[in-house]
Amino acid sequence: MILVIDALNRHRFGSVLDDMYKLRARVFKDRMGWDVKVRNGREFDLFDDLDPAYLVALDDDYQVVGCNRMLQTTGPHMLADVFQDILCGEPPLRSATVWENTRFCIDTDRIKRKNDGRSVSYTACELMAGIAEYAYDSGISDVISVVDPAMDRILKRSDNAPCDYIGKTVQMGKTKALAALSDITEERINRIRAFAGITGNIFADENTVAEALAARGKGPDLSPDLTDYCDQQISDARTEKEREAALALQRTLRSAFSTQPNCDA
Amino acid sequence: MIKPTNLVDIASTPGRQRDYVAHLKTLCDSLGVEHATYFSANPISGTMHGFTTYPDAWKAHYVSEGLQTHDPTLSSAARSVAPVDWKRLDRNDAFGRVFRDANDFGLPNQGVTVPIRGLFGEIGLLCACATMSSNEWTKLRRDITGDLLSNAVHLHDTVMNSDPLLRALRQPNLSSREIEILQWVAAGKSQQDVGDILSISPRTVEVHLRSTREKLCTISTAQAVGRAVSLGIIQPG
Repeated sequence: MILVIDALNRHRFGSVLDDMYKLRARVFKDRMGWDVKVRNGREFDLFDDLDPAYLVALDDDYQVVGCNRMLQTTGPHMLADVFQDILCGEPPLRSATVWENTRFCIDTDRIKRKNDGRSVSYTACELMAGIAEYAYDSGISDVISVVDPAMDRILKRSDNAPCDYIGKTVQMGKTKALAALSDITEERINRIRAFAGITGNIFADENTVAEALAARGKGPDLSPDLTDYCDQQISDARTEKEREAALALQRTLRSAFSTQPNCDA
Repeated sequence: MIKPTNLVDIASTPGRQRDYVAHLKTLCDSLGVEHATYFSANPISGTMHGFTTYPDAWKAHYVSEGLQTHDPTLSSAARSVAPVDWKRLDRNDAFGRVFRDANDFGLPNQGVTVPIRGLFGEIGLLCACATMSSNEWTKLRRDITGDLLSNAVHLHDTVMNSDPLLRALRQPNLSSREIEILQWVAAGKSQQDVGDILSISPRTVEVHLRSTREKLCTISTAQAVGRAVSLGIIQPG
């Protein structure tokens, strides 16, 4: 299922965002070797401070198995400010109906390890369908995605081939990066869904997820008020130091309120 | 098929004669909504810009009660990437405060706010609302969201460009590809032709032209050609 997190609801999903930053560190730093800043095992940059929208793929246990980040191309975004190499120094596209999709990745290790029948391909398609459907519902007609060649192959294999590429493919860390342009249409959404056999609504209900997370054992000992407070503190942290302090506070509160030994393996 | 955009021109009217409220009224009629509001703050001077089709009595009440400091259709929606249907806003005290009063004035409680993030990180907001059944509203909002986005960026850029300092800072920055495509269009080539000539998909040509129109603050490609010629970016066709 796909959970949309943005500035309006991020205070409810601090732990999901934290897991997402860890996934991004494993993928973009460890696997791809991109020049991204990782602090305390979390990849987080200045664009995360600009209230982006994230689409997070969750498995049946509400664990993060994929994510992306959406920004408007009318304002500050990565192709304008960070990925100039891809555009050969040219100014980027600017349109209210074009969004930029970056930090698009899947947790292949977790999905393979878990082996619950959901394949990497299915999760990728669910996330791609989520991106297309969320954009379509928001009046967006095209999305430009910064991806590595492996993700580009996944797009093509999933009947979700980009209609073109902008700029050129550049070396980035252990892999390459390129900017793919995809029109956002009902036909594209139907193709992705048909390819993966996705039916019905793929978007998670915010309240259901928030309740499930609270009941997951991460916080049964904390009152809802304290859980909310901790999540708010974690999501409001503007620096890594603040984030660490907020997480430490959460741990301390949990152990203080813990009534039984921690059985987490 | 690319849906034609329902875009109402404001930029081609000379600055001093611009009637933003009349513009919003035309926009409401063409999109089938009851009221529209535009709001932004100049990123340098901090000057607020607000125009609305709401009745004067509501405007007076809104200002005298200082509702703009509570209004979630502005403050919450400004932090979103996607357009925000007012259904999504938290039903908190601030929401109650504004919407109870709006209800007393007989104003719609269904609407959408389209946030536009500008070049300098400033935000422009275009709100549209209408009284109708929830199902009808959901359908209408789906149909007009793309148009609202295009109109919002056009209106926002026009308002920002009306400031001489910002206009100087916001010189249109076209890529070589955008200039190349516009030059071929000026020479009378269709989007399909241009795609064939440059070996790119017609969709890519369309996206570049849309970006070009928005950068030049024009609503039609023909206007964009005219503007680019007058700025010396391309040669006359």
